[in-house]
Amino acid sequence: MSTVLDQIEQQIAKLSTKAVKKNTGNIRTLADGVAKIDGLSDVMYNEMVAFPGGAIGIALNLEESEVGCVILGDISKLKEGDEVTTTGKLLSVPVGKALLGRAVDALGNPVDGKGPIDAKEFYPVERIAPGIIVRKSVSQPLFTGIMAIDSMIPIGRGQRELIIGDRGTGKTTIAIDTIINQAKINKVGLASGDPKFRPVYSIYVAIGQKNSNIVRTIAALEAAGALEFTILVCASAADNPANQYLAPYSGAAMGEWFMENGQDALIVYDDLSKHAVAYRQISLILKRPSGREAYPGDVFYLHSRLLERSARLDGKGSLTALPIIETLAGDVSAYIPTNVISITDGQIFLETDLFNQGIRPAVSVGLSVSRVGSAAQIKATKQVGGKLKGELAQFRELAAFAQFGSDLDAKTKSQLERGARIVELFKQPAFSPLPIELQVSILFAMQKGFFDPIDAKKVVPAAAAMKDFFTTRKDALLTEIRTKAALDKDIEAKLQAACDEWKSGYTG
Amino acid sequence: MAAPAKQAQLLARQLFKLSVVDGTVSADRVAGVLAYVEKHASAQSLLVLKAYRRLVATELAKSEARVEHAGAISSSALAAIAATMTKTYRRPVTAVARANPALLAGVRVHVGDDVYESSVSGQLAALAASV
Ligand SMILES: Nc1ncnc2c1ncn2[C@@H]1O[C@H](COP(=O)(O)OP(=O)(O)OP(=O)(O)O)[C@@H](O)[C@H]1O
Ligand SMILES: [Mg+2]
Repeated sequence: MSTVLDQIEQQIAKLSTKAVKKNTGNIRTLADGVAKIDGLSDVMYNEMVAFPGGAIGIALNLEESEVGCVILGDISKLKEGDEVTTTGKLLSVPVGKALLGRAVDALGNPVDGKGPIDAKEFYPVERIAPGIIVRKSVSQPLFTGIMAIDSMIPIGRGQRELIIGDRGTGKTTIAIDTIINQAKINKVGLASGDPKFRPVYSIYVAIGQKNSNIVRTIAALEAAGALEFTILVCASAADNPANQYLAPYSGAAMGEWFMENGQDALIVYDDLSKHAVAYRQISLILKRPSGREAYPGDVFYLHSRLLERSARLDGKGSLTALPIIETLAGDVSAYIPTNVISITDGQIFLETDLFNQGIRPAVSVGLSVSRVGSAAQIKATKQVGGKLKGELAQFRELAAFAQFGSDLDAKTKSQLERGARIVELFKQPAFSPLPIELQVSILFAMQKGFFDPIDAKKVVPAAAAMKDFFTTRKDALLTEIRTKAALDKDIEAKLQAACDEWKSGYTG
Repeated sequence: MAAPAKQAQLLARQLFKLSVVDGTVSADRVAGVLAYVEKHASAQSLLVLKAYRRLVATELAKSEARVEHAGAISSSALAAIAATMTKTYRRPVTAVARANPALLAGVRVHVGDDVYESSVSGQLAALAASV
């Protein structure tokens, strides 16, 4: 009996003293977070490389005589001649629900001081996007809570919708509103106990932003109670470019976990302009040839392989992406904006002029589109908002025309009046997304002419009063609209009656 | 026109290719290359020679198994390592012993930029990294 054990133990001893093979190299030069390394002849592209002191590098340039690595983490203790080893692993980050409510860096390490994250699983940061066979077309809505967007530029789960505009035009606010709205919907849906309800979890990736801005965003999410459904991935302007380069891919990996596990997630990349700049910086240090605007030749691939990972998978979940791009003086034909426009399923274009006129959110209806979202729009919104885009376009045209002539026929006049009121109705303060059933009710009242007698300047307070009226007094009706998602004769009659009731009580 | 450093690299690579006969670095050829560089001395000679040295050193390291060991190592063990490495790398590999008491026990073998670790200190390091 003991001889058997001896035999097994001998075998174990043999195994545990078996030599481990490692591939090594030495740092030849070290500058700006990039190391050039001699040796490492076995290294793979994008492989994790271990530096002394626990720092991690990613092999990005595989050349004949050297390997270029970007280093993540503390580089102050590294020096030339240090030995590095390959790990045989691609970079991975923790994924799963344990990350919800937390702020992490590009490697998934917590940065919010709330203690370690108990993640059970890890996903590779770089992953091949799902192929066409496993994908399903977009057909479930993802409500942003912004009336102008949900009614005219609807977004579906699995879609990639670009938010584009100059600096300070409210891009981040739209993304945050959407995240807050998901949290609100989640709370209502989970409380209702509906087994078919699918919550949407959010991932907000901050790239190259000032830390003060990130803190403001976190505070807004916390104040709205949305943090518990949100993962924040932060690579601020103070982080080295390698972390900024990596952060969106880490966020995408965290989102993919939800998608692969049959759940829905939303990811915001704020913003990809700064991401491209970080990548350009790395590429220039790696001495890669540069092209237009000094970006390297593969900058298109940088964003296409990221955004292609958003999808709706057959029999699984979905990952919706809201990438953000900052333009200069509204120029959408610059290099990075055109690239990303061509990869996404549409864009929400924000205009400085509108923003300064006080039309906020400053969505330019004419230049914004959603190429796949209308398949996901609920019937109720289609019923009350189907003609809005056309009406607004006509209004813009007539308004420009009306500046010259004074004699307008009655029809033109009423179109102008209606248009001015729609513009007012679409104004919405930051961080206050509207539930879709409330949007439908307001738009219904507008279509039925309840705002026509009200002075255009007073439409905003009137709409606010109506929202108040519906939320406090017509809860049952709102719930009915939400669950049926379409207006039948019965609901329409009830809505008409509610609006009449509001009108008789409104004195403003 | 390529930058001077690039040109030196290219030239060094060409010289290196000339120095390899049947997969091994030939001492005669290297002597010839050195004589050639000395005769055609230019501003770039230093750069070229440095790059050349690196290429040759890398190549030589591939056919030499540097065996670091703590305590004594028998010549038959060395011969066994040389034979194994010759088989693994499909090229003649000779084994050279180097004493390194820091390993505590066992051996560590370097061939080119590959390292085979079977020392106690290596196992301790792996253990330390995993806890
Ligand atoms: N709908 C809104 N109503 C009122 N104020 C708004 C609205 N949207 C944004 N703002 C305000 O406009 C300012 C800029 O908004 P935000 O930070 O979202 O813009 P941005 O385009 O992301 O800016 P940046 O280019 O700096 O990232 C903020 O102070 C914000 O509060
Ligand atoms: Mg912003």
